[in-house]
Amino acid sequence: MSTNPIRINLRPMHRFKWERLLLNMVLLAAGLIMIFPLLWAVMTSFKPSIEIVSHTPSILPQTWTLENYVKIPNIAPFARFFFNSLIISGVSTIFVVAGSVTAGYVFAKYHFRGRDVLLLLVIATIIIPMESYVIPLFLTINTFGWVNSYAGIIYPTIIMSTGIFFLRQSIVSVPDELIAAARIDGCSEFGVLRHVIFPTSSSAIAAIAIVNWVFTWGLFLWPLIVASSANMFTMEIGLMYFQREYIVDYGGTMAATVVTMIPIVIFFLIFRRRIIEGIATTGMKGV
Amino acid sequence: MTSKIEPRSNESLSSDRGAPVERAPVGVLSRLIGRPGSVRREQRKFLLIAFVPVIALFLIIRVIPIGWLLGLSFTNSSLKRSGARFVGMQNYARLLDDSQFILSFKNTMEFVIISVPLVIILGLLIALLMNRKLRFEGFYQILFFLPFIISTVPVAIVWKWIYAPGTVGLANYLLMSVGLPRVGWLSDPKITLFAVIIMYVWKNLGYYVVVFLVGLKSIPGELRDAAQVDGASSKQVTRYIDLPLLRPLILFGTIYATIAAMAVFTIVYVMSQGTDVSAGTQISVLAMQIYQEGFVYGNMGYASAIAAVLFVASLLFIVIQFRALNRE
Repeated sequence: MSTNPIRINLRPMHRFKWERLLLNMVLLAAGLIMIFPLLWAVMTSFKPSIEIVSHTPSILPQTWTLENYVKIPNIAPFARFFFNSLIISGVSTIFVVAGSVTAGYVFAKYHFRGRDVLLLLVIATIIIPMESYVIPLFLTINTFGWVNSYAGIIYPTIIMSTGIFFLRQSIVSVPDELIAAARIDGCSEFGVLRHVIFPTSSSAIAAIAIVNWVFTWGLFLWPLIVASSANMFTMEIGLMYFQREYIVDYGGTMAATVVTMIPIVIFFLIFRRRIIEGIATTGMKGV
Repeated sequence: MTSKIEPRSNESLSSDRGAPVERAPVGVLSRLIGRPGSVRREQRKFLLIAFVPVIALFLIIRVIPIGWLLGLSFTNSSLKRSGARFVGMQNYARLLDDSQFILSFKNTMEFVIISVPLVIILGLLIALLMNRKLRFEGFYQILFFLPFIISTVPVAIVWKWIYAPGTVGLANYLLMSVGLPRVGWLSDPKITLFAVIIMYVWKNLGYYVVVFLVGLKSIPGELRDAAQVDGASSKQVTRYIDLPLLRPLILFGTIYATIAAMAVFTIVYVMSQGTDVSAGTQISVLAMQIYQEGFVYGNMGYASAIAAVLFVASLLFIVIQFRALNRE
């Protein structure tokens, strides 16, 4: 009788290990399928052009070459594109953080007539895709004379409904006593934001900033409409343009593609935990 | 609670600052803006100089354009000339005769109906597999999430190269190496839309994996332990604990996936640029039509009507899904 429990315990554990191996193999196979197209692009970018159109492609280049990368600067100013993307994502994120903290704080801690209706309006706009109202947005910036300018590209990205709602949810849990204490100590409302809200909601604010950064970096339709000359192109638009002009140069195209992927991949590897958390909890919806 | 002002804190605030407490007349003004230095006054000031601008921008950028769009759809507004005339339902009547619009609408619906179940079911499946306390979970997360986090244009270009015609493309090479005939991935109208959907699912799957995985992790372990003590198999745990508790998240994921698929643009745009121009019009979707009509031809009124259709169709989808998945 005393041996019985031991046997029962051993059997499932034994089966468990096999299950685990199988599980890992399934996930690894699926993961490799996910990553393969990206690896293929990276490998292709290091191949000489004869090898790229070969009838018996191999994953690793037979002869490694940098020729595809060396010619990029002669064909399109990717450094400029990178700089433009940086400016657009950076300015947008500053606006989004400031606006979301301010509005989130007010929605969480102020009481006034119409507050809940306004908040409902913010939530409702989260699900509406920007693609459906690019026309009025464009007519707006056209009126301001912002076509083909940073201001025009940044304009619709400075407000993030998700950010306002998400920070409101986060700031609601900041104790009222902390805010009252700061006020008694002579803090203005901006002081409350700086000394109470920012420190207590820093991870939510970081999540919003990161999600907005990734979202604006990947914007395509809007900058495609607004940017009309190469000096305003973002990396995405620049790559599209490059691809259209040099359609048969697969090696060059792949090298340019890899260059475009690098900043966001580095960003992802550095902030992986925060990005995944932020995106999973906010819903990764830039607008 | 916060905005309720206690007179005591008013006094202390103003005296802290050394400002003389003015004898404000008990009237509308003081009730509205509060005494100088009081909490209410500070809050009013903050609302006026910080909150009002933010909300004004929100209304201007996120709310007014939608009403404006609906208005535009009844005009003949154009980028080529100034001024617009009210034309009633004319744009909408024209949609019914526009074969390119009808094709785009059909393609968009096909895109939604195929891609949404795929990303939700595959995402759920992989999340359930990953939620078993794996050693390399972080590594798997990177593998699945990379395609999602990288912007659409570069990955679409990579896929375009994989789908390249003849023997150059990897997709055809793989088909041939297992003895199957080559396929015109981006030129055969019957296949092109599916080729784009495959790419779309590959690109976005990681997002749903992560959303569902985070949801699964928030389910208390005691629930599963209790079920297992009662003799439930892991399949039963999934069926009777994980899936029911994940229901709200599945609803959210489905709605989000639908909206995203309704508005799909970048992938289709990149795929339809370049070599196979004829296939480009074959795989057109609603957002693509908005871009074409509005920004290539400059017909803002007509493009607005297409956008209004996209907007209303999205809302309808949300309502239907909410009803279907939220019955209990």
